[in-house]
Amino acid sequence: MERDTFILAAGAFLAVLLQLVLAPNIALFSAMPNFCMIYALIAAITRPAGNAALLVAFAFGMLFDLLGNAPVGAMAFLLVLAAFGASRVFTVLNNDTLFMPLAIFIVAVFLVEVFYAVFMVSTGIAASLLEALVLRALPCAFYNCAVGLPLLAFVRRLFDEPGRPSSRAHDSMHVSLTSGKNLGKVRTKHRF
Amino acid sequence: MALKLQQSIAALGSNILLAGLLVVSLVLVTLYFREGEEGVLHQVQSSVSGAVIPLKFASGAIGSGTDSASAALDNLSASEATLEALRQQNQELREQIARLEEYRQEANRLEDLLGLKEYYVLDTVPARVTSRTAHAWENTITINRGERHGIIAGLPVMGQSGIIGQVVSVSGASATVRLLQDPQSGVAVLIQSNRAEGIVRGSLDGLLYLENLDVNAGVQVGDVLITSGLGGRYFRGLLVGTVVRVDENQGGETRRIVVLANASARSLEEVLVIVKMDSEGDAPLPSDTPPPEDGNGDEGESGVDGDGA
Repeated sequence: MERDTFILAAGAFLAVLLQLVLAPNIALFSAMPNFCMIYALIAAITRPAGNAALLVAFAFGMLFDLLGNAPVGAMAFLLVLAAFGASRVFTVLNNDTLFMPLAIFIVAVFLVEVFYAVFMVSTGIAASLLEALVLRALPCAFYNCAVGLPLLAFVRRLFDEPGRPSSRAHDSMHVSLTSGKNLGKVRTKHRF
Repeated sequence: MALKLQQSIAALGSNILLAGLLVVSLVLVTLYFREGEEGVLHQVQSSVSGAVIPLKFASGAIGSGTDSASAALDNLSASEATLEALRQQNQELREQIARLEEYRQEANRLEDLLGLKEYYVLDTVPARVTSRTAHAWENTITINRGERHGIIAGLPVMGQSGIIGQVVSVSGASATVRLLQDPQSGVAVLIQSNRAEGIVRGSLDGLLYLENLDVNAGVQVGDVLITSGLGGRYFRGLLVGTVVRVDENQGGETRRIVVLANASARSLEEVLVIVKMDSEGDAPLPSDTPPPEDGNGDEGESGVDGDGA
């Protein structure tokens, strides 16, 4: 098995385990980390090329929805959008520093939490939007960032070990133009 | 040229996949709301919940361990004043039990005389709490009893001394219980002292609020709330909690009444699922409850008694 695939598969297994076993026990003031979201966004940012990020986001969104009693498909919808946006923005803005992936991760987490709150309120939860944002969405977003940012930095280090192509090189699309001979790296612009 | 074509194809494929996944998600959300509790998606949700029971057991074990350690630390650091207060409370409770036992025996004698049945005879299934929710927007627990043990969705669940919630989904050997503190919970109640009716609702801040109370109904701190049986979900006469705060505005038109649940959800380890209750005012089981046609039935439609899934 390719090393990157192994890392992603192990990460997926760990994310499910942490969500089910650890998350309920580390709730702080009713905020709880969402390891499914954290994993999907880390996968989208660290491996933005290809369609795997979208499929991972959908799968983990569905898993999160099915593990609870919330409407099935809601988190899947938001995570697919967030993963698509995060991977494309990262591909365009990546400057080989740690700041950019972390910033993209934070923005994506907050957007997903805020829109999930909007969704929950609009589908009948007994709370105002302000309450939903203040009591759930923002605390959860902060918690997700506190848990997710170190993990993101760690996963990037795993992918950027010495002797391996840098994340920037990997994230940009490498294209061999002739038979087996790599003539150079071509940075592609994705269409939104 | 070939490169550009390759890029275009890749981008197109990605966009088609994105659109497909978004459409599938939206269709699922729509189906979820349109189907009933017995719908396919709800069933899948229950099945997934049942399939991950071993992991939930592990989670519950960690949680119990943490709670025990925390309680032990609290006990170790309890001051002499706290211990003295607890001893005093213990003494008072002993006296209260003795008094209540007297009342119970007197009531038994009177019932025998009148040929009445015992008012509350609960048919319950004991269950162990295996885990708490892994979802920040919910306040639910999982118990180790399910369809095989006669549990069905809608049954009320009791803690040590009062209602704690309602079964919302069931799989073969486990069930999910939505606690009263969940923002989608609601239970029709009576104030025991003056029989005023209201609805106790959960909230995102984890507190219980007494709402829909008549403007002229008197309520004060210490009032005990019991289920009224209206709405058809909870049996009548079960203890819910006690009023701990009443915030009135200047005109007294609206009140914010905070209720303390009688059974603490945090310390739950074992619960009782009430499958049947013999009393003169009991409510029928949810599965065979036709919607009430009188004025009281409104609450059943407005999400009272926990039907929020």
